[in-house]
Amino acid sequence: MLDGAKPSVLDVKDLKTVFKTRRGEVHAVNNVSFHLEAGELLGVVGESGSGKSVTMMSLIGLLPSPPAEVRNGQVNFGGMDLLRADEDQLRAIRGARIGFVFQDPMTSLNPVFNVGFQLMEPLRKHMGLSKSKARKRAVELLELVGIPDAQRRLKDFPHQFSGGMRQRVMIAIALACDPEVLIADEPTTALDVTIQAQILELVAELRKKLGMAIVWITHDLGVIAGIADRVLVMYGGQVVEQGPVRELFANPKHPYTRALLETVPHVRGARAERLKVIQGQPPMLSGQPTACPFRDRCPEAMPRCAQENPWRISVGHSHDVACFWDPDTGEARDV
Amino acid sequence: MFDASQQRKLVSVRGLKMYFPIYTGLLRRHTGDVKAVDGVSFDIYEGETLGLVGESGCGKSTCGRAVLRLYEPTEGSIIIDGKELAWDNIEARRISDQADRIGRWATWAAFLLGAALVIWLGATEMLTGAWPIVIAVLAVLVATYLVSRLSRSVIYRLRGASEGVSVDEFAPDDRALRRIRPTMQMVFQDPQASLNPRMTVADIIGEPLSEHSNKTGKERLNRIYELMDEVGLNRDFANRYPHEFSGGQRQRIGIARALALNPKFIVCDEPIAALDVSIQAQVVNLLEDLQTELGLTYLFISHDLSMVRHIADRVAVMYLGKIVELAPRDGLYEDPHHPYTKALLSAVPEPDPVSHDEANRVILQGDVPSPSNPPKGCNFCTRCPSVMDICHQIDPEFREVSAGRFVACHLFNDTQTAG
Ligand SMILES: Nc1ncnc2c1ncn2[C@@H]1O[C@H](COP(=O)(O)OP(=O)(O)OP(=O)(O)O)[C@@H](O)[C@H]1O
Ligand SMILES: Nc1ncnc2c1ncn2[C@@H]1O[C@H](COP(=O)(O)OP(=O)(O)OP(=O)(O)O)[C@@H](O)[C@H]1O
Ligand code: SF4
Ligand code: SF4
Ligand SMILES: [Mg+2]
Ligand SMILES: [Mg+2]
Repeated sequence: MLDGAKPSVLDVKDLKTVFKTRRGEVHAVNNVSFHLEAGELLGVVGESGSGKSVTMMSLIGLLPSPPAEVRNGQVNFGGMDLLRADEDQLRAIRGARIGFVFQDPMTSLNPVFNVGFQLMEPLRKHMGLSKSKARKRAVELLELVGIPDAQRRLKDFPHQFSGGMRQRVMIAIALACDPEVLIADEPTTALDVTIQAQILELVAELRKKLGMAIVWITHDLGVIAGIADRVLVMYGGQVVEQGPVRELFANPKHPYTRALLETVPHVRGARAERLKVIQGQPPMLSGQPTACPFRDRCPEAMPRCAQENPWRISVGHSHDVACFWDPDTGEARDV
Repeated sequence: MFDASQQRKLVSVRGLKMYFPIYTGLLRRHTGDVKAVDGVSFDIYEGETLGLVGESGCGKSTCGRAVLRLYEPTEGSIIIDGKELAWDNIEARRISDQADRIGRWATWAAFLLGAALVIWLGATEMLTGAWPIVIAVLAVLVATYLVSRLSRSVIYRLRGASEGVSVDEFAPDDRALRRIRPTMQMVFQDPQASLNPRMTVADIIGEPLSEHSNKTGKERLNRIYELMDEVGLNRDFANRYPHEFSGGQRQRIGIARALALNPKFIVCDEPIAALDVSIQAQVVNLLEDLQTELGLTYLFISHDLSMVRHIADRVAVMYLGKIVELAPRDGLYEDPHHPYTKALLSAVPEPDPVSHDEANRVILQGDVPSPSNPPKGCNFCTRCPSVMDICHQIDPEFREVSAGRFVACHLFNDTQTAG
C-alpha cells in the first residue's frame, strides 16, 4: 500500500458482487477496495443494505452461487488470491486462518448439534486436538467470552441460549483456532455494554498477543470510536470514505458520513427531543452505478453527481473520499 | 411530558416467574431450573414507553414473551387491559389442574363404560343389525364428548364454590387469549427466525390483515404499501423474499408486520439492534409518532442505553432474572442508584475517539453467575464494587426509595429504615 508502514495481511481490490434474481440483477458490491494491516483493527460502518456483509462473505467464498456471482476483483491473503482458490484451499483457511463471526447467529449455528460439538469440531479438525483437550479448550473459550456455567452449557443446543449468548458462542468459535484475521460482522449487536466491554477487552488482548488483524463491522459508532484504528464507510455497495479513526470523526468529508455522525444519540449531555434522520430511501442497486449512489438524499448534490460516479479522492494522509463536493470550501472539488 | 399519576395502568405484572426445567442423566430427571425470570413486578401505563435494559441473558426476552403469554409463566400475575392473562391465584390454578385431571379420568371412564355397554348389548344380542350398532357407537362418542366438555367446568365451579375461589380468577382459556392477541404484538430480536422464507414481503406484512380483518385485495395492498412507507422500505421491494434483504431491512419487515393490526401494546424486543444508526433513528421516531397518533404503549427491550434514554419514559434495569432498579428516565440517567446501573451507564462507549482515551469506566470483574444457580443473597454480589457482608446473606428487597424510584440494594435500605 501507499503509505501503510506495515505489510497488509489482506488486500482486496475492485471487488464486485452481483446477485441474479428473477427480477434482474442486484449490484450489491461495486468495486470495493481496501486493505488490512497486520495487527490493525479496521472498522466498517455504513447503512443497512450497503453491502458490508456481502463484501466480507465474498472474500472467503461463503456466498451461495447462484444467486451470487463474484464478477471481478482480487483478494490477496498469504500470497494467494482467495477468489481463485479452490474449495479445499478455502476450507483450510476458513475457520483456521480467517475466523468469521456472522451477523445472524441463529443461521450460522447449526440447530441440531449442541454447542460443545460445534466448538470442538474446528479444534479437532484444524488443530488436531484430542477429544478431551478440545473439550477443555472449548470450556475455556466459553468462559473467555463470559458464558457462565460453561461446562454444563456445552451440552445445550443453540435455541437454549439467549440472543447475546449465541453471539458470544459465535465469537468463541471464530477465535478457537487463533486465526490471523478475524472478520466480525456485527458481533456485539445483541450484547449489553458490560459484556461488550469485556469482549472488546478480550479482542484488544488477542491483538496484542497474537497480532491478529480484525475487520469489525458495526453500526455502533461508539464502539468504532473506541477500538478502530481505521474506518471504512460504505454506502450503496461502495466505499465512500476511508480514514484513520480520529481524523474521520473530527473531519468527516463525505455528506453521508457527516449525516451519520449527527444522528447518534448520547447517554451523557443534553437529550435531543427528536432524533436526526437521513431523509429518503436507500438506492435500489439494480444496475452498474453511473452516478453517485447518495445523490437523492444528499444536501450538497449538484448536476455532476447525476452524471458521474465519484471515485476515491485522496484528501489527506491515508484518508480518501468518493465525493465531488469539498466541505472545507463548500464548493465542488476540482477533479 | 408523560405523567404517570394521571394514567391508567394498561399492563400490570406481579411476581412473574418463568423457569425452564433442566433435565439431566439417562433418565432425564428434573434436576433444576433455569430461573430466567425470577419474580419481577412492574406496571406500564397507557401511552407510555417502559424501557427494559440489562445484561445479555438476564431474562429480558423471556420476560417480554411471558407478558404476551407466548410462554406459560411458572408463577405470577399478568393483567393487560383489565384482563388476567396468567394465574395470580395459586389456589385457582391448583383447582384447575385438579379439575383437568378429574375431567380426563371422567372422560376415559365415560368412554370405556359406554364401549363396554355397547359390547355387552351386542354380545347378548339385544342390539342387532348395522344401524342400531352405528347409532349406539355414535351415542357413546357424543356422551364422551359432552362429559369431556362439561366435567371440567362443573368440577371447578363446584370446587371453587366450596373453597371460596371465584371463577373469574381462573386464567383465560385459549379462546380468550386469542381474542386479546391482536391488540398485543411483538417485534422480535431475531428477524431471521421470525420471517417465513417462502413468503414475499407483501404476504408477510399482509398476513395478520388477512387473518384478522376483512379488507378487500386493493385496500389490503394499500395498507401494505402504507406500512412499508412507514418503516422506510421501498415499495418496489414488496414482491421480494426475506433472504434478499440485509439484516436491517429484514427487521423493518417485522416492524411493519407488527403494526399491521393497529395494536395497543407492543413488546419491542431489541427492535433496532440490527439497524444502522440512521434507520434506528427513523424507527425510533416512527415508534414515537405512532405512539402520539394512536396512543400506543410499548415495552421497549434493548441494551442500547442511549436509544432507551431517547424513547423511554421510565426504565427498568434487569440483572439475572430480577429487576434491580426502576425509575423515571431522567432520574435514572442523571443519578443511577443501583451499583449495576452505574456500571452499565459508565460502560456505554461514546462516539468520540478522543473521549475514549480518557474514559473512566467501571469494568465489572468477577464471574457472571448462572441463572440456574444464582448466588445466595444479592444476585449482583459476585461482581458488585460496593459489596458488603450482608449482601452475601440476604436478598435485598425491591422497594420504593423515593417517589416512583424503586431499587433492590442494601445500600438503600438504611435510608429507608432511618427516614
Ligand atoms: N440473496 C440475495 N439476493 C438478492 N439480493 C441480496 C441477497 N443478499 C443480499 N442482497 C442485497 O445485497 C445488498 C447488500 O446486503 P448486505 O447484507 O451486504 O448489507 P449490509 O451492509 O450487511 O446491511 P446490514 O447492516 O443491514 O447487515 C442489500 O441491498 C440486499 O438487499
Ligand atoms: N427455551 C429455553 N430453554 C432453556 N433455557 C432458556 C430458554 N430460553 C431462554 N433460556 C435461558 O434463559 C435465560 C434468559 O434468556 P433471555 O433470552 O430471556 O435473555 P435476554 O435478557 O433476552 O438476553 P439477550 O439480551 O442476550 O437477548 C438465559 O440464560 C437463557 O439461556
Ligand atoms: S458526489 Fe455529489 S451527491 Fe454524491 S455525496 Fe458528493 S455531493 Fe453528494
Ligand atoms: S445489595 Fe450489596 S451486592 Fe447487591 S447491589 Fe447492593 S451493594 Fe451490591
Ligand atoms: Mg450485514
Ligand atoms: Mg433477548
